[in-house]
Amino acid sequence: MPNDHLVRLVGLSKAFVKGKERIVIFDRLDLSIAAGDFVAVMGPSGSGKTTLLNLLGGIDRPDGGQLAVDGERVDRLSESDLARWRAGNVGFVFQFYNLMPMLTAAQNVELPLLLTRLSKQQRRAHVETALKVVTLSDRSKHYPREMSGGQQQRVAIARAIVSDPKLLLCDEPTGDLDRATADEILATLRLLNGEFGKTIVMVTHDPAAAKYARRTLHLDKGRFSERELAA
Amino acid sequence: MPPLLLQVAAVTRINVKSIPQRFWPSLSTVVAVALVVVVLLSFLAMAHGFQRTLTNSGAEDVAVVLRGGSQSEINSTIAREQVRLLEEGPGIARDAGGRSLTSAELYLVVDGVKRASQTKANLPLRGVGDQGAAVRRGIRMVAGRMFTPGANEIVVGKSLLREFEGFDIGRTVAFATTRWTVVGVFEAAGSVFESEIWADLPVVQSLFNRNNIFQSFRARLQSPTALADLRRYVDADARLKLDVKSEAAYFADQAAQTSDLIQKLGWPLAIAMAFGALAGALNTMYSSVSARAVEIATLRAIGFGGLPAFVGTLVESLVLAALGGGLGAIATYLVFDGFSASTLGASFTQVVFNFAISPALVAEGMALALAVGLAGGLFPAIRAARLPIVAGLSGS
Amino acid sequence: MSDFLLIRKYLFRRKLRAGLMLVSIAIAFLIFGVLAGFERAFNAGEDVAAADRLVVVNKINFTQPLPVAYFNRVGSVDGVRQVTHLNWFGGYFQEPKNFLIVLAVEPQSYMAVYDDQLAIAADARQAFVRERTGALVGEAMAKKWGWRVGDRVPIMSNIFTQKNGSRTWDFTIVGTFAGRKPQVDTNFMVFQYAYFNETQNLGKDMIGWLALNTTSPAANEGVAKAIDRMFANSPHETSTDTEKAFNKAFAAQLGNIALIVTLVVGAAFATILMIVGNTMVMALRERTREIGVLKTIGFSGVRVLRLVLGESVLLALLGGVPGIACAALFAAAMETRVGNFIPGFAVTPGIAVTAVLLMLLFGILTGLIPAVHAMRLKIATALGRS
Repeated sequence: MPNDHLVRLVGLSKAFVKGKERIVIFDRLDLSIAAGDFVAVMGPSGSGKTTLLNLLGGIDRPDGGQLAVDGERVDRLSESDLARWRAGNVGFVFQFYNLMPMLTAAQNVELPLLLTRLSKQQRRAHVETALKVVTLSDRSKHYPREMSGGQQQRVAIARAIVSDPKLLLCDEPTGDLDRATADEILATLRLLNGEFGKTIVMVTHDPAAAKYARRTLHLDKGRFSERELAA
Repeated sequence: MPPLLLQVAAVTRINVKSIPQRFWPSLSTVVAVALVVVVLLSFLAMAHGFQRTLTNSGAEDVAVVLRGGSQSEINSTIAREQVRLLEEGPGIARDAGGRSLTSAELYLVVDGVKRASQTKANLPLRGVGDQGAAVRRGIRMVAGRMFTPGANEIVVGKSLLREFEGFDIGRTVAFATTRWTVVGVFEAAGSVFESEIWADLPVVQSLFNRNNIFQSFRARLQSPTALADLRRYVDADARLKLDVKSEAAYFADQAAQTSDLIQKLGWPLAIAMAFGALAGALNTMYSSVSARAVEIATLRAIGFGGLPAFVGTLVESLVLAALGGGLGAIATYLVFDGFSASTLGASFTQVVFNFAISPALVAEGMALALAVGLAGGLFPAIRAARLPIVAGLSGS
Repeated sequence: MSDFLLIRKYLFRRKLRAGLMLVSIAIAFLIFGVLAGFERAFNAGEDVAAADRLVVVNKINFTQPLPVAYFNRVGSVDGVRQVTHLNWFGGYFQEPKNFLIVLAVEPQSYMAVYDDQLAIAADARQAFVRERTGALVGEAMAKKWGWRVGDRVPIMSNIFTQKNGSRTWDFTIVGTFAGRKPQVDTNFMVFQYAYFNETQNLGKDMIGWLALNTTSPAANEGVAKAIDRMFANSPHETSTDTEKAFNKAFAAQLGNIALIVTLVVGAAFATILMIVGNTMVMALRERTREIGVLKTIGFSGVRVLRLVLGESVLLALLGGVPGIACAALFAAAMETRVGNFIPGFAVTPGIAVTAVLLMLLFGILTGLIPAVHAMRLKIATALGRS
């Protein structure tokens, strides 16, 4: 049912060349993700979880196969088109937050909006909204070094959603956080998915984190085995 | 060797050996310092060369007599009677035949063309008597022959021939309506006379309408102390309102002005550039310290004190600066030493001189380089010595 | 928040480093400004000389004299609008080291020929023609020695003596003159040739050189040839050339100043190019991951390139503009001291514009390699995963 699915991956192939060796990560992989889904991807290291995320986000290109996001053939886009596509359609959340240390929380969140034609006031409004969603409005003028790990990750999430992207890609978002903080972050993600309908793909090695998702996919040797979890 | 010195030596060795790891930043410091030294040394070589040419030109035992108050030959006038009186002065040496070694001369300016730039140049034409060469030292013909008295012939100095066009042997040279043939080339022990054209005095006098007029009078003295006698003789005679100087003093005065000016230009420039290089050196050293923060902190955690880190960093900076200074000195030497140039001397005539680099100059250049190295290494070295160990170990 | 803010934040991320770069760049442009100003003033003689002015000198060399009779003869040549004659006096005031530029001229014609350069009040003009021992003194010289109209000044010559044996000539200052343009040298003095000729005892009726205005610059060549032809094969042959060319040739005798200036400035720029370029590369390398993040957000490669170039250009401008400003201040401060030798020593608007263009070029050069590298950086590599 093509129109239900936000993400459709058909026949994906990807290999890396390391010196003289050619390592095949994926060989004709298929994947469909419905709009509004929250998918956790787990698997041993080297299974290609991060590569999959990179491919979904247009950061990397497949060697073969098709990738369509919301009907658009991402695999066919040029580099500059990809950048533009990413700006409007994807938000990333990384394990180590990757905030700009010399910008305040608000300025960090505003970054993706620089790629739009919004006016200054409009940008400010969007930033305020995003920070409110992650409940960090009181820290908008603080610098990353003045915040805890959890707070920094919340800023990162705010940055990822500020342009209202269709797809949220998270790479080990709680990998660097303690249990309690991790739960907060995951709760936020669930909120974004539940209340705001964001489609989320989250790579994680933590089974407890995967429980927050609607379903978990296990990736091993380039193949999926799915185990549905209760919503 | 006491443990502290061992530590210092060990850390210094580590620092210096790690320079190639930060190749590009280190190279940029070395090149920056080298360029500063090149600028400084080339100006100093210019000043030194100019000065050397002029001081070589003057002998202590040759007296130069000019009209009282004249700063240079070109402004001076001496009458025939005065020349005769001077020839009888005390203290003047005699040649083998018993004649006093004196030469009354005319000094005129004629036009020539510089080879390199093809622009006009003022050249000195000196009318000399038959003893003109004998009074001076080291005048030797290196090609052709001396001019024949009474003939329209000229001989040119080696440097003049090299720098200016049209004076090859056999060529005819025209100064306005007068025509002269070049019959010889002379060398003059590297003195300023090598930048001159010489001709027979009576011929010059008649062709340039200066009959019975002279501009300078030179006499070889029996000894340098005889100068005082000659001076007293001149001062005592009211008809001789003339200045008596040793030729060495005469040229030294002329040289000082120009050479001073060149140095006054060169040093400020070099120092300004040195500040620029300093900024670069500081930058390189600060980044060297941060790049090696983990290393330094580890050593400190092991138990090495702050002093080794300090010395090590400082030495690293000095090594880079010394390399730059050496490179700059060698480059200046290769490119500029012996480089021939000419500029206007005190008589508004061209003086040909060679850039001359001496060990003393190189030392000055190295001093500047090391100053940059010291200033550029000091604060980074202090930072290295006081690096908080924990922060350093965590790599922040 | 804007691209500009981002650029600024990146630039000053490490304040000390940025500060050192700025100082380095400022110094390079200070050197450039001072040397360029110097070179311009030095060669300004060319610019100030009127296009229709020729000088006639003795063909042997300009230090040789010409007969005063040439004044009238040249005046009658076709194409000569007006002519004057001048003698170099070799003057100094009180001590030989206080050397002065003093010229003996034919008053009326001198003021006419140089009217385009010198502004002289009407009463001063009349007084100069009238008073035998009168002298006109340039503003700069009057200021330097504190002379005023009406002062009597004794000037000595290191070339000439008076018939009575004295070396001193007494002059009364009857007026001062100013330059019509800033580069005009006013550090000299003129007095009557008649007074000079009567009193000096080294050959009467001889002049140093002639200066004349032609009817138009187009006539220059023809007039010059006619004059030289007129005196060919005489005891005093002449060589006539434009004043511009004459000044240029004279300046060239000192040495190839332009070349030296270019070399030194080139060395200074090469130094900072290496230093700053290197620093930019290092700074960018520290930022690899962040560039990756910007790209994941959606910043295109080209936009990243612009950010990096923007940073290096901003650096160049922030450092270069104060440098040039300092050069201008330095020149202004030095004007009084070196104005004697090189009038018009200043950082002109032309030099400032050149400097800004150089700053832009410099900014682009130092940022180019890191910018292209950042543009091409693959996100996966930048984020540290593959």
